[in-house]
Amino acid sequence: MNADAALSTRGLVAGYERDLPVVRGVDFAVQPGELVVVLGPNGAGKSTFVKAIAGIVPVFGGSVALGSDDITCLPAHEKIARGLAFVPQTENIFSTLTIFENLELAADILPRPLRRERIASVEAIFPDLAKRPNLRAGQLSGGQRQMLAVARALIVNPRVLILDEPSAGLSPRIVAEVFANLAAINRSGVTIILVEQNVKAALAIAHRGVVLVEGVLRHEGPAATLAHDPIIAELYLGIAPPAKAEA
Amino acid sequence: MILQALMNGLIAGTMIGLGAIGITLTYSILRFANFAHGELISWGAYAALGVSSALATAYAPLATPIGPFSFGWSLPIGLLASMVLTGLLALLVDVLLFGRLRARKSAVIILVMAGFGAALTLRSLLEFLVTSKPAYFTNALQIAVKLAPGLRATPDQLLSLAVSAILVLAVHLLLSHTAIGRAMRAVSENQQLAALAGVDVRQTIRIVWLLGAALAAVAGVMAGLLVQIRPHMGHDLLLPLFAAAILGGIGSVPGAMLGGLIVGLTEALAVQFIGAEWRAAVAFVILVAVLLLRPQGLFGRPA
Repeated sequence: MNADAALSTRGLVAGYERDLPVVRGVDFAVQPGELVVVLGPNGAGKSTFVKAIAGIVPVFGGSVALGSDDITCLPAHEKIARGLAFVPQTENIFSTLTIFENLELAADILPRPLRRERIASVEAIFPDLAKRPNLRAGQLSGGQRQMLAVARALIVNPRVLILDEPSAGLSPRIVAEVFANLAAINRSGVTIILVEQNVKAALAIAHRGVVLVEGVLRHEGPAATLAHDPIIAELYLGIAPPAKAEA
Repeated sequence: MILQALMNGLIAGTMIGLGAIGITLTYSILRFANFAHGELISWGAYAALGVSSALATAYAPLATPIGPFSFGWSLPIGLLASMVLTGLLALLVDVLLFGRLRARKSAVIILVMAGFGAALTLRSLLEFLVTSKPAYFTNALQIAVKLAPGLRATPDQLLSLAVSAILVLAVHLLLSHTAIGRAMRAVSENQQLAALAGVDVRQTIRIVWLLGAALAAVAGVMAGLLVQIRPHMGHDLLLPLFAAAILGGIGSVPGAMLGGLIVGLTEALAVQFIGAEWRAAVAFVILVAVLLLRPQGLFGRPA
């Protein structure tokens, strides 16, 4: 357990079947205020890794700590109460509820006097959501849904925000908008773990990146370095790194 | 005559509607048709009868009729106790049966079959405890009040209508304007996301059982007050309950009540114009017609 870290995992083993874990012994830590992007090819176990941290995929071994608190066995709803928010890749809003009800639902776990204040502060970050509070969330566009999902997660003022591929299915213009918002949220002090296939855009706003391959943490480094790291090209494009010149 | 048939249908429809609300809530959140729900109506009626009889025996003035009604204060108190007891019975069935099957991620058909088993067990147990002889909340004879030419209703019937209207409004407000209502709607749409939004899904499911069972108890007491109490009363209502819930649209409380009213009114009109022997077929015809023509019901969302 890394007590200085905002969130850490030690030897995390997780997946859908005990005999066939997807995540196989991952040691990982994110420092307070950091934005870390989790990279890896399809099927590397990135989503399973963050879902296990959030409490919606079974953990078979190892531990998850939020600060110095062991939260491995807590159910998902208790994790968010402790400050760990998670935004799934798909189906991340309640489409039958209105925009305001989506935010209200997230605020319901807060003390009553804080609720309106937190909703107002999130609406200040996403002013478009405040314009049509009574609109059914199911009527929102892909980008707006993503904004609402992030807004809902921010309501509890989380210590750590985890996002699973927030750019999936969005146009480049909307992706840029979503990532600009995430960078701003991170600058406001929220620690962010971002699972992303859009490597270039993600590394552009991240401090650090880690690379998962077949459920194992294979590589990590500062975002600026990783952006030009041959291993990234190898993993995503199948381009082998240039062989070292023989002496 | 037709006005009277409509009044009778309205009264029967409110009873069906109250029962259907419980079915629609459990169906939308637990994702299976609970065929044991009818038994909660019977158990609710008998629980209220037991408590009110005990109270009336212990303190006779509680049995003195209130104003124009046929019952004393022992019955409203018995009803409240019955709502709690029936809720606890539903929770017990969930803990012993449905909850365990959910934990094993059992298929829907397993849950449905388990519901049939639970219904049979509860009905047989009730019949064993109270026998199949009909019982009554009161032996007092009520004179129907003339409301309009050709339209009469007893004060008990009018009270039942008012209580149903208030309960439907209360449940609707609970669902649309409170934190627990939002949680129930969220769990209904996506349990995993609800948990990620901070909703305690297991607690929400417990509240759904309590609420559905409490409304079933009210329906049972109303049916017992207006007709009679029998161990099979809930089972006999099962088809109209499901017809109402599906007609209204699964998950919709106002829809369930409207569905109940439509089923009740149609049954009453069938009795009036076709013959009493066709009454039971009405709910079946409505159920089949809705499933064929508009499976999402009046207020439901298309799948």
